[in-house]
Amino acid sequence: MGKAETSTVSRDIAARRRAAPTGLVGFLGRLLRTTEVVMFVVVVSFVVLSTIINPRFLGLDNAKTLTRDIAILGIAAIGEGFAILTGNIDLSVGSLYGLGGVLIAYFIVTRGMAISIAIPLTLFIGLVLGLIHGLFVTKLKMHGFLITLVTMGVARGVCLVLTKGWPIIDLPRAYTVIGQGHIFNIPVPVIIFVTIVAATFFLLRFTYIGRQIYAAGGNIEAARLSGVNVDNRIILCFVISAVCSSLVGMIQAGRLTLGHPGAGSGYELSAITACIVGGLSFAGGEGSVLGIAIGAALIGVLQNAMIMLNVSPYWHQIVIGMVLLLAIVFDYVRRRRRV
Amino acid sequence: MESQPLLKVEHISKRFPGVQALDDVDFEVYPGEILGLVGENGAGKSTLIKIVSGVYSKDQGQIWFRGQMVEPRSPQEAQMMGISTIYQELALVPHLSVAENLFLNREPQRLPALGMVDFGQMKRDAEAILADLGVQISPDRPVKELTVAGQQMVEIAKAVSRHADLVLMDEPTSALSGKEVDALFALMQRLKERGVSLVFISHRLEEVLQVVDRVMVMRDGRRVETLPIAEATQAEVIKLMVGREVTLFPKEEAQIGTPVLEVRNLSGNTVNNVSLTVHRGEIVGLGGLVGAGRTEVARLICGADRRTSGQVLVDGRVVDIQSPGDALQHGIGFVPEDRKLHGLVLGMDVKENITMAILRRISGWLAVIHARKQREIAEQYVNALSIATPSLTQLAKNLSGGTQQKVVVAKWLSARPKVLIMDEPTRGIDVGAKAEVHAIMTRLAKEGIGILMISSEMPELIGMSDRVVVMCQGRVTGEFQHEELTQENVVACATQFLTVGTESGQENTGAD
Repeated sequence: MGKAETSTVSRDIAARRRAAPTGLVGFLGRLLRTTEVVMFVVVVSFVVLSTIINPRFLGLDNAKTLTRDIAILGIAAIGEGFAILTGNIDLSVGSLYGLGGVLIAYFIVTRGMAISIAIPLTLFIGLVLGLIHGLFVTKLKMHGFLITLVTMGVARGVCLVLTKGWPIIDLPRAYTVIGQGHIFNIPVPVIIFVTIVAATFFLLRFTYIGRQIYAAGGNIEAARLSGVNVDNRIILCFVISAVCSSLVGMIQAGRLTLGHPGAGSGYELSAITACIVGGLSFAGGEGSVLGIAIGAALIGVLQNAMIMLNVSPYWHQIVIGMVLLLAIVFDYVRRRRRV
Repeated sequence: MESQPLLKVEHISKRFPGVQALDDVDFEVYPGEILGLVGENGAGKSTLIKIVSGVYSKDQGQIWFRGQMVEPRSPQEAQMMGISTIYQELALVPHLSVAENLFLNREPQRLPALGMVDFGQMKRDAEAILADLGVQISPDRPVKELTVAGQQMVEIAKAVSRHADLVLMDEPTSALSGKEVDALFALMQRLKERGVSLVFISHRLEEVLQVVDRVMVMRDGRRVETLPIAEATQAEVIKLMVGREVTLFPKEEAQIGTPVLEVRNLSGNTVNNVSLTVHRGEIVGLGGLVGAGRTEVARLICGADRRTSGQVLVDGRVVDIQSPGDALQHGIGFVPEDRKLHGLVLGMDVKENITMAILRRISGWLAVIHARKQREIAEQYVNALSIATPSLTQLAKNLSGGTQQKVVVAKWLSARPKVLIMDEPTRGIDVGAKAEVHAIMTRLAKEGIGILMISSEMPELIGMSDRVVVMCQGRVTGEFQHEELTQENVVACATQFLTVGTESGQENTGAD
């Protein structure tokens, strides 16, 4: 069993290596083929372009708004990203966003609950809903698309029932810090977002739990036969997704000082788009949290630029939808070429 | 044999990014002959077939068919010319009947203005076509109810009924049992007698040498040699394919110890009351036809499927296995049949695939994986099994079949099992890699691991096993020590409950 017989592979690889340019050019070439890097370049060019057209784009005020928007979308997108990593999808992001905002306002304003109890309670409800999603997906072998579609409808209904269709207003100052506050000029939502990115990066990159999530998403049967508890990993992903969505609702409620029953309607579109733009594959098991963050940045910059450049808000959904289409086509083409 | 070739291919070259897949290949197919095409993975067999059948375009060279220069740009165009291809994945519509599939897109019509299909006519025509080829399948049956073999027969009938003069078959036997293969070969012979030419690709050399008139050997995108069947011995062909001498079935005697795996009265999921024992250092073959329930036994043992009754003992102690994770805890490893579907996460690298089953064990505080430990373990098995990968971070999908298989084996070895269940351990891999996997199995047995090997390949089963347990329809029908192993013995037990026409309750697909 010597090295002489190293079969076709090593030959193919050697050939491929020969074909690939080495040195700086090769490094840059390879770098440019990484989705994350490409998207980052796109985001930066967008920022530069917008600033040239409207210099106020990078002003402190707009920068705060922009980063806050990106942070909020980013948190929702990371949650959605966990669901997509497992090869599923979570359609309840927008409705749980709404529910998170309504619940926190309902608990604090309507029920007069202490903030320190209302926050964990709302997050806990999100956790339970995610747990239910995960159990349906793993124990009943249901696609995540279906069970979260149910929640999409029901959670929105609960928002309307709790609020009777009217926003619950006047959240106290002590609470609204979560959406409006700053620490050293950095908006609180941005701090929360960066913390979540760091924690997610750590989880996915360095822990066996994270690697098992990728394995379950990449090939659930292979992972299962390798003794990975794939059910628990998938349940965890749905829990994270639901908790992130609820958290986003809570932050947004703080920002607006009210819980609006219609908040976050259609937000899953933006969250999914951010994920796919950031290099996640609908097939699962592929992508990184940095990609998601950059994807969220792109969508955020795009939306903000449209506002700054006086594009009618009616057009925003269409533009986001088209970006999603582009990203999906790219994802499919890339995957087909690989086969 | 007539002197004028039906198909003549000259100087064909094809380059894929980074790989010269075909390099100046010539070959001819004569009317009414069966040409075998053999070579290791990546030798260029499939690429060649795909160029002739219009799937790929060629970079250079000419194709002459019936004396005319042709350039098929799609499989449809090739079909119109008379070149049909039978792929591994079958191209039939599962819910339509056999007759409807045969006449898809050229249905006989009644009242053409209304576009009505003349089902009576279609059924009669279909019956005639099938009878003519000696295929005993009712034209009314939905295709999805047929076995893979039956579907293949329909596919071939479809090609022939469309006046194909040349039928290209890429690994048609990989999913068939021995009896089905015989039926397929009988059909190929009948086609040949009718003047149809066939090109037959298979990894199973014994099969190729059994059925073809000439065999063409490819290596590294080139034609090495074309031999008339009279001059082609298995050893000679393998030498040409690999470029060196290979020892097949390097089975050596190992010290056989105490029972390490005992299965008692196992039932569930088509498996009925199966008992078997594997000792330390022993390779036990599990033989039988495809669908006899062998894979199901393996899956029940390792907790991938739920068993309805029965016990599993490891080292003489009853163990409770509810999931593959439990099996792993008790020292049972399972190398599944389909490495791409069940064995590997293709998008992950060699290192992560090898350590997949032990990730938790090599993680520390906060579930963080010990990167160095992971690397060391992966390296150790890459070296131990001579896994031909350029680096530990090479993605599994970029490896060849044989190398992938070794990665799957490495994954289980890293978990230090007492028993290794291997389902078709060498299916679809190169002859060279196959010999290596067999050598690894021999070595593991010598180290005292018990191996339960499922194999549909008779030479492998007989060559590698200390003992063979044969199954038929979910039950054990025979057991043979190495000395009493013969092909006849195994086949007799494998078909014990089968009478002509009732194979597993499914269609008998061939004429006998």
